[in-house]
Amino acid sequence: MNSTRCNSKAIYDASMTDGTDRFSQWMMEYCLQPCAIAVVFVLVALLWTFLLQHVIAYPFVFLFFGAIMGSAWFGGMIAGSVAVFLSSILVAFFFIPPLFSMSVTKESQSFLTAFILCAIAITVVSSARKRAENAIREARDQLEEKVRERTAELQKSNVEIQESERQLRLLTEAIPQQIWRADAAGTIEYCNRHLTDYLGKPVELLQGEAFFAILHSEDEPLFRQGWREAIESGGKFEIEARIHGAHGSYRWFLVRSIPQYSAEGDVARWYGIHIDIEEQRRAQQDLIVAQEHLSQLSHTLSMAEMAASIAHELNQPLTAVVTHAYACREWLQAQPANLVKASATTEKIVQESTRASAVVSRVRALFRKEAQVREPADINLLIREFVRLLRDEAIRREVSIGLVLDDGLPRMEIDPIQIQQVLFNLAMNGMDAMAHASAPRELTIRTERHGEREVLVSVEDRGPGIPEGIADRIFEPFFSTKPEGTGMGLAICRSIVEMHDGRLWACNSPEGGAVFQFTIRTQV
Amino acid sequence: MITQLETDKPKRETVFIVDDDPSICEGLINLLESVGIAGRSYPSAEAFAKEWEPASAGCLLLDARLPGISGVEFQEKLQESGIGLPVIFMTAHGDMPMVRKVMKAGAMEFLIKPFQKEELLHAVEQAFAVDRARRSEEKAVSSIRARIDSLTAREREVMAMVTAGLLNKQIAAELNLSEITVKLHRRGVMERMQAGSVAELVKMCERVKEPSWTGSKE
Repeated sequence: MNSTRCNSKAIYDASMTDGTDRFSQWMMEYCLQPCAIAVVFVLVALLWTFLLQHVIAYPFVFLFFGAIMGSAWFGGMIAGSVAVFLSSILVAFFFIPPLFSMSVTKESQSFLTAFILCAIAITVVSSARKRAENAIREARDQLEEKVRERTAELQKSNVEIQESERQLRLLTEAIPQQIWRADAAGTIEYCNRHLTDYLGKPVELLQGEAFFAILHSEDEPLFRQGWREAIESGGKFEIEARIHGAHGSYRWFLVRSIPQYSAEGDVARWYGIHIDIEEQRRAQQDLIVAQEHLSQLSHTLSMAEMAASIAHELNQPLTAVVTHAYACREWLQAQPANLVKASATTEKIVQESTRASAVVSRVRALFRKEAQVREPADINLLIREFVRLLRDEAIRREVSIGLVLDDGLPRMEIDPIQIQQVLFNLAMNGMDAMAHASAPRELTIRTERHGEREVLVSVEDRGPGIPEGIADRIFEPFFSTKPEGTGMGLAICRSIVEMHDGRLWACNSPEGGAVFQFTIRTQV
Repeated sequence: MITQLETDKPKRETVFIVDDDPSICEGLINLLESVGIAGRSYPSAEAFAKEWEPASAGCLLLDARLPGISGVEFQEKLQESGIGLPVIFMTAHGDMPMVRKVMKAGAMEFLIKPFQKEELLHAVEQAFAVDRARRSEEKAVSSIRARIDSLTAREREVMAMVTAGLLNKQIAAELNLSEITVKLHRRGVMERMQAGSVAELVKMCERVKEPSWTGSKE
């Protein structure tokens, strides 16, 4: 009630724009209202005094004190003063002899003076008391108002908090992931429905040691260790682990937990999420299996290719040996024996057998790769040695070999024999390509850096270049453009280079001729 | 006339070896020579095709894997261009689909390197026999053709009717000739065709697919 009155008054005040309005209000408050109150009280007192005049022998003026007190109480200091004034006049007029006159006898003067002093004192006390009372009431009202406001505010914020909590909870339930919250020590306080549904256990059964029981026994030690470290250090925690579900099987989850810090910087609680990665994990597993299968397959394939090529390479000289041997027997069994032919034939047999044995040693060199020979070697030195070996052949074929070697190359972990084999193949190919070329027949071998971690070796010839359309086929097994080629040379070269983490490719040089290039990784 | 004589002269039977490995060729020639068979080698199918002539006698010894054109493709080409030499295949890696394919295409034999002398010689003998039969057939056909060509138009007409089984009287009626004239023509035909009997004449005509008379043109 008070508040509404206050409000309406405030509104009233606010609407007071006029000076006259304010004056009339002032008049009302400070003149008319106190005067009216004083008059009413004093008249009531006067009336009662007249009535009691016949009951009580002595003129009973104390009722006026009551009227003054009442006026001062209800009308304030002004009303009190007016009541004092009126009462004094009325008392002097009606009750102090000479009666019905304003004059006062000498003996009654002290009485009137005492009356007036008492009346003033009552007014002062009463109005002061009233003011104090008013002040107290006002203060109480204000307090009450404040309390009410605070209560309303609290209620409102309570509702808001409840609402936001409800929304948050809805959110955590709506997220299709498993979420939990734990206290600073790592004890689970809350789990969302997804988590409890998956585990088939309420939050109470996940606290302390019980939490680790949901983990696969193989993942548990690592999980436990990681979690303990995270709690000790107050850092993030992340691990992939299998978690046992209510349906009886394990699924892979990515468990991730982040700490929330208090104002003091300590961990206040932990928030955790379990992300189901079973499908990813399975796909990954499948991929690994497929890759293994593939590499096995390609290994088998290359073994099959290798075996076929070896069989072919060996069969050629062996066929020659066998046919020559048959011929030799015929020459010797002839009548008379043709010794000249027989001897020439045995010479052929020796030649072809040597060729077969060369194939065998080549194969053996090739299979040494299984042992993975790797020695630190200077590629330039290797090339110089190799060119010395090639010198006779080059002179016979009227080919000049040029070297453009970068001397600042690092030593590399390679199989020198295999790399020489690659160089030999490329150099022979280059010289073959220039067999019908007009001079100058130049074979250039270059070494240079290729990026940060590789060395590039190029073998360039001045032949007709690689015919269009076969550039990508020349590395295939059994592909050969040469009458006596097995089609294995470049295929073997490529596999050797690849085993050295390098690549082998071919292109045509703008100056004419083919360029075969391969890279080798330097030591990491 | 001179070229005619040369083609008629029987050529020596030769094994034509096509293999890209010279040492194989050398070995094969040596072996064949030691048993008295002539051999010639070519590094590629193209090289052989260039030197081949219709009178070439013997057989082809073909490597299944050749540079440029493969042995199998070459075999097909041979048949297209009418080179009738029997073909013996050899390979260092015989895969069954290829063997089946070349045998179906009419290869004589498929030898897997390295092979036994007997295998080779047996295959060569067989191929030579086939080639001989082929050549004698070709020779017989061409000689009959030559004889038919030597007949006059009238004689050829008479021959067609004789092989169709007509009597001299009927032939005379058909051709509006006297029976005596028909008899003269008939004797001429038998002489030029070197046929001892009508049955022999019919056989000859069948061999070269000479059409016999099928009835009056009217």
